[in-house]
Amino acid sequence: MKKALFCRLFPLLLLTTVPAAALAESSVDSTTILRVRQDARAGFETQTLVPLTQYLGVDIDKLGDGNLSAHLYGWGRLDLDDSMDTVDNPDRFDGSLSYGYLQYRFNYANARARAGRFFVTEGIANELVDGITARTDLPYGFGVSAFGGATVHTVDIPGMATDGKGDGIFGGRVNYRHKGMLELGLSGLYESKAPEPAAPGSAADSFGSHRLLGGDIWLKPHNMVQISGHTSYNTETQQIAEHSYLLQVTPSKELVLAANFDEQNNRDYFYSSLLFANMIRNLGRDSRTAGASASYTLGKAEISGDFKHYSRETGKAQRFGGELRGTLLDNSVRTGFGYHYLRSSPDFAVAGSASGSFHEVRAYALCDTKGYFAALDAIGYFFKKPVENSDSAWELLGSLGYHLTPAFELSGDLSYGQNPQYDDELKGLLRVTYNMNTGKGGTK
Amino acid sequence: MRVSHQIIALLALAGLLALSACAQLKALPNLPASHPEELARGAVSCSECHEDQQSGSMKPFAAFNHTQTFIKNHRFYAGSDEVLCASCHKVSFCADCHSHKTDMKPSTKYGSRPDRMMPHRGDFLTLHKIEGKLDPASCYRCHGRGNNEQCVACHR
Repeated sequence: MKKALFCRLFPLLLLTTVPAAALAESSVDSTTILRVRQDARAGFETQTLVPLTQYLGVDIDKLGDGNLSAHLYGWGRLDLDDSMDTVDNPDRFDGSLSYGYLQYRFNYANARARAGRFFVTEGIANELVDGITARTDLPYGFGVSAFGGATVHTVDIPGMATDGKGDGIFGGRVNYRHKGMLELGLSGLYESKAPEPAAPGSAADSFGSHRLLGGDIWLKPHNMVQISGHTSYNTETQQIAEHSYLLQVTPSKELVLAANFDEQNNRDYFYSSLLFANMIRNLGRDSRTAGASASYTLGKAEISGDFKHYSRETGKAQRFGGELRGTLLDNSVRTGFGYHYLRSSPDFAVAGSASGSFHEVRAYALCDTKGYFAALDAIGYFFKKPVENSDSAWELLGSLGYHLTPAFELSGDLSYGQNPQYDDELKGLLRVTYNMNTGKGGTK
Repeated sequence: MRVSHQIIALLALAGLLALSACAQLKALPNLPASHPEELARGAVSCSECHEDQQSGSMKPFAAFNHTQTFIKNHRFYAGSDEVLCASCHKVSFCADCHSHKTDMKPSTKYGSRPDRMMPHRGDFLTLHKIEGKLDPASCYRCHGRGNNEQCVACHR
């Protein structure tokens, strides 16, 4: 009932922003997508799925004294067919408000305050909150940010009668910067007590409240060297949850060498996710990845190679490969080719398959002129040992569109593929995009 | 001391710092709310136009050049430089992938933009059975505690 009400009110809410948008500097980004798909799986009734999705983003700047702005982004979907996909689309109507907030931006110190629904990405926090947040730079290189409000709940985990989130959350970050050489950050978040799952035994000792402390660093000790990363600490389990660090060396403007190291203590890292906590028994205790990459830019082309080693208690794997990307004619033609091989122990294989190893090959090309735009994209996964009796999963996608005006475009995609789920998978969509901006400058 | 008290003490200290420095705040500059010039199509790098001069406590522009390394590791920058990101990117640019609830894969929404790094291209339904076991943190990093409907259909 609540969802249906939301789906009806959402377009109305967006319409109310139009008069305000006409008066202030504003931008409207609308994408309407009509997909058509026939789902014919052995043993299931054939279904034709025709969902119509409307994405809408509205940004209205320079309200009030010129420092106030409003920002809104969300989507709504209506299934036009009578039959319903009860797995992916259990409801005929659906929708979500990704964010919607008022922002006041002060004239100094990058200070701002937001009220409404917003994302928080500060230090170790990565949350969607209904509440208020504020940040500002401070003298002597310091800075501070804080947020608080209600958590945004999602669907319940089946059988648990909860999504695993507490109802309230607050947190913040303090940081110190020194002359473009160093940034140190200390962040924390505290969510109210996690709800008790209806079947507590299934997540015993692996699930609890979302409470973290963390430190982050960005260091450029030399013009060619840059280190960034963070460590988070789970105050509920009283253990380190994650280390994640990246070292970059740029011997020349064209060459970037990088090395990364990530380590998660699974119980402590996934502790507040009821979904992952339920799977924790099969995850093992630690996850560790270490890798390196090199990329070289030659004019309008960039060639890169990478290697990553995965180490889990359940097994080990390595992934290596490379990619070539290029642009031509003032970025109007963009193309790329990539190859990667995952060499993995059978422990990571899909159930019933003898190996988790596979080759990945991808090639794409895109041409975007003032009039038309077209793209071709091919991706294939070639399994070392068959997965569900298939040797590969591949997809070829073609897209063709036309810029009716600089702001208004019409395009269509058609894709065909074969994979372990489908002998033939043919999908199509029509897309109408409208991006209007009455302000100056550029924002993507 | 209880953890909640530690965090409250941390925030109180931050508030005190903010108050004591308030008088000097007006001398600190703002980054522009949006990029003053139109941006070129496709990925652009700051140092294509900006000289790599460092000012105040700002990080050098070259640190934000959109190389493949930067794009694959953009989470490190998002956690500390969101104000700078917002000069060129709308929040919806992030929300295309990072959202608590999505209707379709980002690569489907942007099928006409194969040059953009979009997760889960091709038959990821099969692939996630390998990738999820290999590196579950890579799932959690973006999906967080979204528990989206597609996940819980199978993962109960």
